[in-house]
Order: sequence, then structure tokens, then C-alpha cells
Amino acid sequence: MKTLTKSLKFAARAALLTLVLTGTVFAMDLGQAKSEGLVGEKPDGYLGLVDSGASSDVRALVQDVNAKRRANYQRIAKQQGAPLAEVEKVGGMTAIDKTQRGHYVMDASGRWVKK
Amino acid sequence: MPRKLLTMLVVITAAGLIACNPTVKVEAPDKPIEINMNVNIRHEILVKVEKEVEEMFEDEDLF
Repeated sequence: MKTLTKSLKFAARAALLTLVLTGTVFAMDLGQAKSEGLVGEKPDGYLGLVDSGASSDVRALVQDVNAKRRANYQRIAKQQGAPLAEVEKVGGMTAIDKTQRGHYVMDASGRWVKK
Repeated sequence: MPRKLLTMLVVITAAGLIACNPTVKVEAPDKPIEINMNVNIRHEILVKVEKEVEEMFEDEDLF
């Protein structure tokens, strides 16, 4: 019994250490989330949840990607002296353009459609 | 009687001519004409923004 507790503790520590060392670990990657139809590209330049009942894994992934995108948009806006909203719009157009067939994109009226 | 008719005809024709005569007024604008040189510069910025956004999607796992 004691050995079991010990090994459990060890496993937990090892898992924690792995998490810390590798940064945030997502159970789901972006490509997978897209091909499963869970997330899609919005005209505002950010990812959106196609399925509002998506798991916390998917939500965390969307938040992480969008935060990184925002940071990049802000950097580009500053460098080029363009308004952030304009850079985001370019982002949206580019992302929707690059989206492969069968994946979701949001149309102008806010509906999710399969490209 | 034919004289009266003639007068009437002249009056009607004159009125008709006046009505048909178009009045085109050419007025100089009260404000000086502005030519927007910013269009070109803005276009250049947009092209650069597009390139940077494209690179951002290619470089990182953000797409």
C-alpha cells in the first residue's frame, strides 16, 4: 500500500515535471481540432469555436493560439504604422483564404460554413 | 382672327423655346481641389502588412 502511494506520488511528480519542462501541453493540436470541425477561422483574424460545447482542451488551444496571433498582429501594426483592426482583418482574409476544403470558416453574417 | 391665332402661336413657340433652353451652370468649387497622395502610401503599407501576416502564419503554428 505504501509502495503504491509512493509510486503514485512519483508518477504525479514526473507528470508535473514534464508539463513544466515542455510548457503548456495541449491534448489536441490545431490541425486536429480543425479537421475534427471543432474550430474554424473567423473574419476578425482569430480562431473560433464551431461547437460551443467544446472541451476545455479545445478552449485552451483556441485561447493560446489567439493570444499569440494578437501579439503578432500588434507587432505588425506597430512596425507598419497600420491600425490593429486593419491588420486583424488582413489576418482573417489570409487565414480564410488558406483554409483547406472541408474545414470551417465563418461567413460575413457570423455563420459557420464548411469551405 | 388669324392675327390673334398667329400671336398665340408665336407666344406658345417662344414659351416652348424658353422651356427647352437648358441652363447649365458651371461653378468653381469654393474649396480648393484636394488630391489624396496618401492612397499610394496606404497601399504600400497594406502590401507589407499582408506579407508579414502571411509569414506569421507560415512561421508559427498559429494556423
